[in-house]
Amino acid sequence: MTPTVTAVATNRGVSLKGVTRVFGTGDAAVHALKGIDLEIGSGELVVVIGPSGSGKTTLCNIIGGIDAATDGTVQVAGEDIEGRNPGTLDTFRRDHVGFIFQFFNLIPTLTARENVEVIVEMTGKGDKAHVPDLLKSVDLGDKMDNFPAQLSGGQQQRVAVARALATDPDILLADEPTGALDLPTGRQILGLLQDLHREGRTVIIVTHNVSVAQIADRVITVVDGKIESSTVNDNPADAADVTW
Amino acid sequence: MRATTHKSIRDLKRQWRQVAAVAVTIMLGVMVYVATAGAYQNLSASYQETYDRLAFADYVATGGVPTDVATAATDAGASDAITRLQVDPPMLIEDTKLLGRVVGMPTDAHPTIDDVDVIDGDYFDDGATDQVLLETHAAETFGIGPGDTLQIFGLDGWVTVTVQGVVDTPEYLWPARSRQDIMSDPHSFAVAYAPEDMAEQWFGEGPNQALALMPADASAADGDAVQKAMRDAGATAITPWEDQASNATLSEDLDGFDEMSKAFPAMFLIAAGVASWVLLARRIIQERPIIGTLMASGARRGRVLRHYLGQGIVIGAIGSVLGVALGMLANRAVTTAYTGFVGVPDTVIHNYPWMIAIGLAFGIVVGILGALGPAVTASRTAPAAAMRTAGSSKPPGAWSRMVARLDWLPVSARMALRDIVRSRKRTFATMLGTVLALVLVLTSSGMMTSIVQAVNLQYTEINLEDATVAAQQGAGVGDALADVDGVSAVEPTTLGQVTIVADADSYATLLHGYEPDTTMHGFRSQDGSFIDLPTDGVLIGQAVIDLLDVGVGDSITLSTDAGDTDVTIAGFLDEPIGTSVYTTNDAAATILPETSAEAFALSFDDGVDRDQMRQTITQLDGVVAYQDTRAIISTIDDYLGLFWAFIGIMILLGAILAFAVMYVTMAVNVVERTGELATLRAAGAPVRKVAGAIAVESLLATILAIPLGLWMGAVAAQQFLNTFNNDLFQLDLMWSWWVLPAAALGVLAAALISQIPAARAVKKVDIATVVRERAA
Repeated sequence: MTPTVTAVATNRGVSLKGVTRVFGTGDAAVHALKGIDLEIGSGELVVVIGPSGSGKTTLCNIIGGIDAATDGTVQVAGEDIEGRNPGTLDTFRRDHVGFIFQFFNLIPTLTARENVEVIVEMTGKGDKAHVPDLLKSVDLGDKMDNFPAQLSGGQQQRVAVARALATDPDILLADEPTGALDLPTGRQILGLLQDLHREGRTVIIVTHNVSVAQIADRVITVVDGKIESSTVNDNPADAADVTW
Repeated sequence: MRATTHKSIRDLKRQWRQVAAVAVTIMLGVMVYVATAGAYQNLSASYQETYDRLAFADYVATGGVPTDVATAATDAGASDAITRLQVDPPMLIEDTKLLGRVVGMPTDAHPTIDDVDVIDGDYFDDGATDQVLLETHAAETFGIGPGDTLQIFGLDGWVTVTVQGVVDTPEYLWPARSRQDIMSDPHSFAVAYAPEDMAEQWFGEGPNQALALMPADASAADGDAVQKAMRDAGATAITPWEDQASNATLSEDLDGFDEMSKAFPAMFLIAAGVASWVLLARRIIQERPIIGTLMASGARRGRVLRHYLGQGIVIGAIGSVLGVALGMLANRAVTTAYTGFVGVPDTVIHNYPWMIAIGLAFGIVVGILGALGPAVTASRTAPAAAMRTAGSSKPPGAWSRMVARLDWLPVSARMALRDIVRSRKRTFATMLGTVLALVLVLTSSGMMTSIVQAVNLQYTEINLEDATVAAQQGAGVGDALADVDGVSAVEPTTLGQVTIVADADSYATLLHGYEPDTTMHGFRSQDGSFIDLPTDGVLIGQAVIDLLDVGVGDSITLSTDAGDTDVTIAGFLDEPIGTSVYTTNDAAATILPETSAEAFALSFDDGVDRDQMRQTITQLDGVVAYQDTRAIISTIDDYLGLFWAFIGIMILLGAILAFAVMYVTMAVNVVERTGELATLRAAGAPVRKVAGAIAVESLLATILAIPLGLWMGAVAAQQFLNTFNNDLFQLDLMWSWWVLPAAALGVLAAALISQIPAARAVKKVDIATVVRERAA
């Protein structure tokens, strides 16, 4: 039986009811999510863990509006997003969600500053004047004009964090944010996410690395498309103390 | 089936749109080759068939005693030689007076040289005295046929003759009076073949031409020997079949097909090769880890090479097979349309095996060449390096660093500027596609607009008269013309055949005489300025500079039936059509033989009814021929109609070429940058902005290539025009003001249209899947 976690969904919260996601049809149909009920409170730092193919990334993508549920209702930051057309989903993501990916996905021909500015420019949200501050906040004040090829993996991921913050999102979705990083660098990134959580943002981290769960307010374990457990962590660890 | 074959098929199917774009470009190249090379061969064969069947004369000589010249020709190796009379008398056909041509012919049998093909009615009755065979163009123009009558002006006045038959003739497949008169008012020229005895009687003179036919296996040296013998026997001017007015005019077009069959397909095939290269190179970058795995597993380099080469061959084979099939159909259509338009009696349609083989080979070779570079790269992949999926480890270049300083530009614009050098292959392909499309369009349209502008120049700034009139000497026609309502000016002119002789070279042309202060002709010098007609010396078309190796101030001889006159070259003229000699009426009168006719040039008031003018003037007593200059323009417009269609097709093909190449490069661009695009989309950037950023980059490459394309197009167009330049045409590249902007806008439009599929691809990007994968 899937446990249901109850929390008050505010405008930075997430509420999923009976969410399923099926890829393919007929004999080839893969049920990635099987009736997920999930509530994430505003300002929570949630770590979703699970083995490979468990559906955790699909869950993250549906919350972020880059994938659509086959069935069920999805409410994020106070907006119902199931069944929306791509145009309004763009607007939803612009207004509420910031993504951080495992492989950074920086544009190699743009400098660190430009990688952040381009999001402001393309979405029309945010302020280019604040971009240097964002980069300073992730400790890249002296690397703003460097190209991705001139940055280390950790620095690139910090640019990705700054990029995710460019539109001042309510919710940060980080899919394996430390997956391509070594331990010290991974810790730095987790520290950044923890800081953002402390500022009041909802942060959802998807990972297969159980150690990352140490920093969470709550750990949700997904197995075979279902939430197997939801465990509240009364004493989240500081990112600097996490090890793997 | 082998697993690698399965992979190739699936790879090609997965990218079928891009594969189709490359294959279509190859197809068009092969199609244009087969169609134009085939049309060239078939039209040549069609003319040759007619020439052989109707024994088209190899040499036509004038001067001397024609029977002596003919005898000399056969003695020197000609297989046959005959004599005949040719005269250009006034004619009256269906109330229209014109300067026609009467050619003598035996009545008891067809002539053995320059025979005719009776297409309506019959050949002469043996011993006929009042019959003529009317050349088909005149019959069509005037709507007359067997049983109708026309009148010919002879020594004793008008002679009425009956049309016995309508004929095709190898001499007038293109109805040109002379090399200087290849475009004429169709109502001003008609060729009638008359019984030789009667023609001699009507005009009071005997044969004035000797025609020689060479054996089929005659060499150039044999021809030279016969010509020398004919000259030695007294011939002053010899026109070889190549220079005969009709054949020379048609050869111009044939040469055009020949040029097109080389240049135009090459553009498509180069574009296709580069597009194929970009496509396969991208695939190989994507498949580096797979190639690395295969090679780590022991796959041999040759096998990897063949695998990717095979894909290029398949694309080339698909394109070339379709291209050959369509080319064969187009070959038939072009040949049939052309021979029908010109009225060539024999239409030879043949798809030459060598041509098909070359077409197929072209496509496959392009496929191989396009795939060779990427395939070699693939086969040289170091397995360990290939399996390490390194990210963007390439440091930024000077250009990227410089663009970073342009912080006043939007980031998306800076991104586009940097991406120009990010994938040089892709940028090169986009630019090449733009350049080739512009070259194709400008070469085609440049030829067309230059011809139109040349015609305008010739008939609005050089030939200033509205009409010319030939009249009986002393009939007071000049005064009568001046009294006609609508005639604003009348000037006497002179016209006659001359042969320019300079040392050992000669050139047969027309001598025009005008009043010294004429308003009927503009004398355009080589620098484009207009000069006065000199009272001392003659002006000549500039083509003779090379033909006769002469210069200003040189003395030349003008040879006519009246004898030889030495004159000085006072200057050369730059006239687009024809190469004539100009002097004053007074000087012309001393050079040309006395005739019973006089000529006038007329200009009309604005807005006159030209049909009414023709009717009124040709009714005047003493008027024997009338030629409306505007009707010439109309004839040229008709002639150009076929070519406008050709230009339209070429512009369409140019647009397809530009679209196909840009579509492939755009598609590759989207594939290369899927990770970036998905990231932008995940951040909430709308599709239109993301697609717009990609489009800006592609359009930037197109815009950068446009100046180069315009320049290369201009150079190619001039080169193409130069292949037509001779004594018949002197064409300079002239474009209307709108041509270059229109060509540039057309290519930009093709580039814009090619963004539509790319925008769709951006919309379809599976953001969720892509953002989890490392961007390649």
